[in-house]
Amino acid sequence: MAKQRTEVADIDRTLYDITDSEEGFERLDAGLTPDIVREISERKDEPEWMLDFRLKSLEIYRKMPNPTWGPSIQGLDMDHIVTYVKPNTDQQATWDEVPDDIKNTFERLGIPEAERSYLAGVGAQYDSELVYHNMQDTAAKMGIVYSGIEEALHEPAWEALIRSKFMTLIPPTDHKFAALHGAVWSGGSFVYVPKGVKLDFPLQSYFRLNAKGAGQFEHTLIIVEDDADLHFIEGCSAPKYNVANLHAGAVELFVGKRAHLRYSTIENWSKNMYNLNTKRARVDDEGEIEWISGSFGSHVGYLYPMSVLNGRKSRSSFTGITFAGAGQNLDTGCKVVLNAPDTSATVETKGISKGGGIQTFRSSVVVTPKAEGARVSVSCASLMLDDESRSDTIPAMDVRAKNVDIGHEATIGRIGDDKIFYLMSRGVPEEEARAMIVNGFANPVAKELPLEYAVEMNNLIKLEMEGAIG
Amino acid sequence: MPISPLLSVDGLTASVDEKTILHDVNLNIPAGETHVLMGPNGAGKSTLGHLIMGDPAYTQDAGTILFDGQDMSDLSPDKRSRAGIFLSFQAPVEIPGVPLSSFLRATIAGRPGLEMRGKEFRRRMKELCAELDMDPAYLNRELGVGFSGGEKKKVEMLQLLLLQPKLAILDETDSGLDVDALGVVSRGMDLYRKSTDGTLLIITHNTRILEHLDVDRVHVMVNGRVVREDDASLIDWIDENGFESFERAAENDAAENAR
Amino acid sequence: MEQLKIKHASAMPAPTWSWLRMNDTEISLPAALARGGDIEIEAPDTLLDTASTFEGALAELQEHLDAKRANATDDRACVRAAQMDQEGAGGRETSDGSLGDLDTPALSRYQKRATLEEVAGDVTRAFETGIGMDARSYLNFAAGETVTIATEAGSTGEATIRVTGDAGTTVAASIDAVAAPDSSLSLTIALDAAPGSSDDASSNQGPAGVIGSELRVFAGAHSHVDVTVYVTADAGFVAVDDSGYVLDEGARVQVRHIVLGGGVTATGMAADLRSDTARIDIDTRYLASGSERRDFNYVVRHRGKRTISNIIANGVLAGSSKKCLRGTIDLVHGCKGSEGTERETVLIADEGVENKTVPTILCDEDDVAGNHGATIGHVRPEQLFYLESRGVSSEDAEALFIRAKLEDAALSAPDERIRAAILRLGNRLIDGFAEELEGDAA
Repeated sequence: MAKQRTEVADIDRTLYDITDSEEGFERLDAGLTPDIVREISERKDEPEWMLDFRLKSLEIYRKMPNPTWGPSIQGLDMDHIVTYVKPNTDQQATWDEVPDDIKNTFERLGIPEAERSYLAGVGAQYDSELVYHNMQDTAAKMGIVYSGIEEALHEPAWEALIRSKFMTLIPPTDHKFAALHGAVWSGGSFVYVPKGVKLDFPLQSYFRLNAKGAGQFEHTLIIVEDDADLHFIEGCSAPKYNVANLHAGAVELFVGKRAHLRYSTIENWSKNMYNLNTKRARVDDEGEIEWISGSFGSHVGYLYPMSVLNGRKSRSSFTGITFAGAGQNLDTGCKVVLNAPDTSATVETKGISKGGGIQTFRSSVVVTPKAEGARVSVSCASLMLDDESRSDTIPAMDVRAKNVDIGHEATIGRIGDDKIFYLMSRGVPEEEARAMIVNGFANPVAKELPLEYAVEMNNLIKLEMEGAIG
Repeated sequence: MPISPLLSVDGLTASVDEKTILHDVNLNIPAGETHVLMGPNGAGKSTLGHLIMGDPAYTQDAGTILFDGQDMSDLSPDKRSRAGIFLSFQAPVEIPGVPLSSFLRATIAGRPGLEMRGKEFRRRMKELCAELDMDPAYLNRELGVGFSGGEKKKVEMLQLLLLQPKLAILDETDSGLDVDALGVVSRGMDLYRKSTDGTLLIITHNTRILEHLDVDRVHVMVNGRVVREDDASLIDWIDENGFESFERAAENDAAENAR
Repeated sequence: MEQLKIKHASAMPAPTWSWLRMNDTEISLPAALARGGDIEIEAPDTLLDTASTFEGALAELQEHLDAKRANATDDRACVRAAQMDQEGAGGRETSDGSLGDLDTPALSRYQKRATLEEVAGDVTRAFETGIGMDARSYLNFAAGETVTIATEAGSTGEATIRVTGDAGTTVAASIDAVAAPDSSLSLTIALDAAPGSSDDASSNQGPAGVIGSELRVFAGAHSHVDVTVYVTADAGFVAVDDSGYVLDEGARVQVRHIVLGGGVTATGMAADLRSDTARIDIDTRYLASGSERRDFNYVVRHRGKRTISNIIANGVLAGSSKKCLRGTIDLVHGCKGSEGTERETVLIADEGVENKTVPTILCDEDDVAGNHGATIGHVRPEQLFYLESRGVSSEDAEALFIRAKLEDAALSAPDERIRAAILRLGNRLIDGFAEELEGDAA
């Protein structure tokens, strides 16, 4: 443990410590026991250190309080957490069991037949695997490793590397669900891009995740070495049907010197999901992390990808959109730590709330005393589509360096009647006019996505606007 | 051999965002003379003024700017100011929370012969305000915040008279539009010439500001190049004929160069 | 020395991650202070001799609001959610662990509290001050009695309250200000503590003394209320300035907080724009040097229609000072046509400064505009070029900004005593400050 921790020793450790010890501890140990964790580990035939790590995480998990500032997770059946953790016996769910609203989404999105049949059951996995392997072959020729993280752990060549990185960016002490993840994580991807290798098409994790059937606690570990370049797409925009209703994944990204990583996500979980996902990147000298993040779906969402800019002149950009419809409380945003001279970060987010949905933009920008010359620009805009919904903006900034330039702008408002009137006066029906304006509002995010994802995102917005889902 | 001019711009080429906007500009101004820099909108006149002052928004790619025998190229604007260059702005920037008087004190602090203690400073301010017909209450107001066009000009002229630079570059590109401002600038120039043996470079495309002014030389700038230099008679000619002929000539030159 | 701690002071309504340590602050006070008494209230008898009370004004407002209130049931999703949660823990869970009502969002604690408060519509229970209940109790206790300053309808009044601190004591004023409809009331509060008695303050014994004021303001319909607070205490003192405002229809309130001195200062204000077209403008100017700490908490609740708020803060941080400013604009459901703006500019003049800013907008209404912005760092490039072109180097520019903060305050000081206090503070930071400025205001 201690050895792994040194990986992030440069960062102020206090940043990660949950300090609000006055909050009442909830001991939610029912169900989840060391024996169950041992069982998970044994079945995976893991190295000893991983089992130790899991057991330590479990201890931390039991001691940690639930977050008190975000959406209520009361509805999450924490007393029977084991039901989320146990290998998913319902994996062979049939298409008939998929809720209607998701099926409708699939129909209207025109998700290819292959994916649909895959989702309907294990029998259709072949197509997905094929797509995956094709990609792996191309990447492999360049020396890129892209495999399941569990498989990689069994490769002596990678075990040591994984051990040195695993949950060092997101230590189990970070928050309760990071600890839970540390104890019960399962599945996920491992990507290694060697020095100087630039991959000019994106790697996608969608098929992989589903193939393993381990979506709820998957761990993604990506290492992009110096001067390398990667675009990774996670999740895809297709809604995922999960029998369990808790997702506590972890994504750890290591970006080397002058390296570049773009990490794109469109999360569109079904609306019974508590999405408590943690994503974090550490960037070395002159490296760059780009986050593109779309949050749709979920009943409750806590999602704040974090960039730790540890290298001189390293950069981070975050472009995100969150759409909260009926019944949803999505608390999203990002965190940036500027911890070296001349680092820079930009944040541009869009939030939309509708039909009683709640959307919160939450961010933190921390500029440490080491970050002289840091530049940060944050801009967030929220759109209220009716007067029953809610949109909060809570951006925190902590600046402790000189000669920095930190700018922050935020606006909240609704679609101007004049804009609707203008479009309608040119013959556009009102509903379409609204969708058009909302799509325009989302455009800064859409234009950062590969075309097919942008199209799907626009379709998602259109569906939400029609009120056909949720 | 003629004595070297106070300001000597030689072969100056400059750019902003890697786009060249001044090409091989030459300009000499002997001490004590009044020069005018004219040209159509967007010719690069204001840019030249800002470059002489050392505005970091522009990059000096080639050439030299000699002032009083000293190369200015690597000096920050405050050093150039203390060397004796003054550039008037279209309007002072707004600096909320900083009273004009605090700012003025900072501008003269440490200048030999100009630094003044409390009482002396206030007496001098009163004098200057009276000369410019400016309400001394403005001294307590925040710099630039809520000032009218005429008031903004007064603040600029007040500094010109306070700092008594060797060379005053007055960027009056837009002043012709505002009768009040025009009057303030004329008065400021007049007082400046009277109180010092100052040297003037007036940047304008409007000849009205030049009435009653004893102009020594006129420089015409088009498309980032100085295309013509002549005596004061050129002003009247431009008044009648405008800049079209210079622009046409510049276009022809450009066309020829392209061939 | 034993310390008395006011915990969770100046808490922001909607908290964020606790590791940022911005959600609230802790104010440490020496426990063994004597209750001091040097409070001067300069006001005409007409303002002091009044039957008006703050509570009475709120009760009257409540009557008007209740009379206008519609009785329709409110079935918005957030209201359903808040009430469902209230019916008992786990009320929304079904026995098989699946979720009952997915159309009802899971509220955060804050969202739930805000919804219930909105539905209740109780002015008195919703009344709050910026620093909060514990500070209020402490200051009211220290003050001993609460003085009510009130205007008659249509009249104009002016008052100055001076709280002068002394080592070993807590001196606090507790003021209720009630501005009757169509009246104008102007209040100046000067929190000062001279350095003379603070020799032992610098010896790290903790604060030498405490000064404070507790202010509740009711701005009646179409009244104008102007409140300016100067904090010019020496570094050895803790200054606590807590206030809460309630604005009736069309009321205009202008608040200025000028915080130039004090080892630890806490400034908190909350405003309830309860009735239509009320407007509040908040202008905060601060300076912190040495190891001073500044804490600000602003909460503006837009409840009436077409209400307006502006929070403008402008500060300079030097030495190893620390500052945290929380600003919350809350656009409550029903405040249609309202606009809230928040803007902070901070100049960081030295390494070692710590600056925290959280400009929050909470929005539960669609026909509104909320804007906030923050600029943190050094002098803007165009400003710097202008200053440099007049001979002021970038280092000098920072000194100018610090000096200007004091000079600006001195030049606009409403009276000689406040001006003298600012000059005294200026002399401590800048050699010959007062001499240089002498006579400028004339």
